[in-house]
Amino acid sequence: MPTITFAQSTGAAAEITVDEGTSLMRAAVTNGVEGIVGECGGQAMCATCHVYVRPEFADQLPEISDDEDEMLDCTTAERTEASRLGCQITMSGSLANIVVDVPSDQV
Amino acid sequence: MSTSNVPTAVCPFSGAAGTAESASITEEGSAPAAPIVVEVGVSAPVAEWVTIPDLYADPFPIYQRMRSESPVHWVPAVNRYMVTSYAACHEIEQDEARFSADENNSLMKRAMGHSMLRKDNPEHQVDRDSYGATLRPGTIKKHWNEIFTANHDKYLGELVDKGAGADFVWDYAAPYAAENLRLICGFHNASQEDLQRWSQNMIDGTGNYADDPEVWVKSATSSAEVDAAIDEMLPYLAENPDHSLLSGLASMPIPLEAIRANLKMTIGGGLNEPRDVLATTVWALLNNPEQLEAVKNDPKLHAVAFEESVRWVAPIGMYPRETTQDVVLEGVHLPKGSRLGVVLGAANRDPKVFEDPETFNIFRPKKPHLGFGGGVHFCAGTWIARAQVAQIAMPALFDRIPDLRLDPSSPSIDAGWVFRGLTKMPVTWG
Repeated sequence: MPTITFAQSTGAAAEITVDEGTSLMRAAVTNGVEGIVGECGGQAMCATCHVYVRPEFADQLPEISDDEDEMLDCTTAERTEASRLGCQITMSGSLANIVVDVPSDQV
Repeated sequence: MSTSNVPTAVCPFSGAAGTAESASITEEGSAPAAPIVVEVGVSAPVAEWVTIPDLYADPFPIYQRMRSESPVHWVPAVNRYMVTSYAACHEIEQDEARFSADENNSLMKRAMGHSMLRKDNPEHQVDRDSYGATLRPGTIKKHWNEIFTANHDKYLGELVDKGAGADFVWDYAAPYAAENLRLICGFHNASQEDLQRWSQNMIDGTGNYADDPEVWVKSATSSAEVDAAIDEMLPYLAENPDHSLLSGLASMPIPLEAIRANLKMTIGGGLNEPRDVLATTVWALLNNPEQLEAVKNDPKLHAVAFEESVRWVAPIGMYPRETTQDVVLEGVHLPKGSRLGVVLGAANRDPKVFEDPETFNIFRPKKPHLGFGGGVHFCAGTWIARAQVAQIAMPALFDRIPDLRLDPSSPSIDAGWVFRGLTKMPVTWG
């Protein structure tokens, strides 16, 4: 089964094993990963599941939709090339062992 | 399970120690089967001491006492369970399978029809998607901000013309929010005064627990006026599209019944909420001169003040849910079919989450509040509210009237609990 590693700015990290088809946001919220809020439940509407995806996984990610793109402009922490919304990343085989950094601020 | 310095991850909302490790064990099923624990839960205490007039005047001392006793009470005066802890409210928002929005005998359904706010998924999502990009940040930036700015100039000008002693809510915040909403909806055949009347009458119907026949007559009259206005606008907007909700809906395979109900819900929620959060935020700042000074000196703090205001006095203080099965919520047993009031106004002042929660403080550590709701029903108008209040109105207001203050000769009145805001706010300057 795929795993997601959430790396915190403190240096701590949590590796979570999830079912395929689970979104990165849902995995974080279900497991109480600090710094991922997911207010809107996964509709790309709140920008509180912002993560920075490590570059080695960038090629495997789905394209950024218009909805996600405009919401990434509304994140509290700075948007970078690596910014994505966790709710828009669904775990599947090619993303097994993905590593993301959790921003210091989400609201 | 490989871990690298795994912290014990405690959910900031529920306090649940859902560690990464235990999650992994569950997923893989590699651990010995846990003993089956049947959660029984205690009965909710009965808060017979809570009255609606007391809630209307000032609900916050009542919420303090309730939260300290139990996360959930049965409240005879309200004829439902009231859920007041942050953790319990958050659990409800995240679980629509056990806590349905599709309430039986809903007054809102009677007043406005069956809108998306009283539907569960998948039906809810169809309606929600029918609103398209109208309320999203991209459209706000490209289209609405300019319109909101023009509307704001007009109504701020009217406040200034009216002179010292004018009412901040009724001479400025209400018409400003109503005019914005009129254009967002696409009612080119109505006035902002129509929007205000429709909104108030249907909201009164939604809250008509006393079953007052006169309230129902007014609510039904406004509802019929909205139906007629929609019927007139849909063909026009199909020919002359703009960025409004009705324009998008005009070309969509959505039943007219759903369009009508959703627009009525939007007229209800899209007016009071920005109006009340604008007045409450400015009222709080005028009462806290150091914070006001900080906001004037740092434009970024308008948004912070807005969020703190929504936390401090959630404009929608309570909304309903109904249990679909027997549940145990934060240790309290609730039978199937229980009618719940999710009291955001109380959750947002839970001392387990917010330090010194009763105080308006824009400098408090930032934490997520529940003022916009959460989960699939997260407020669709959140970004519209942030734009028209924090981005457009507040900076221009303090720029134009830097010495704005509350009128010392005529005190403001804040009231309400299901909806809470300023009902009177005379201001002065010069």
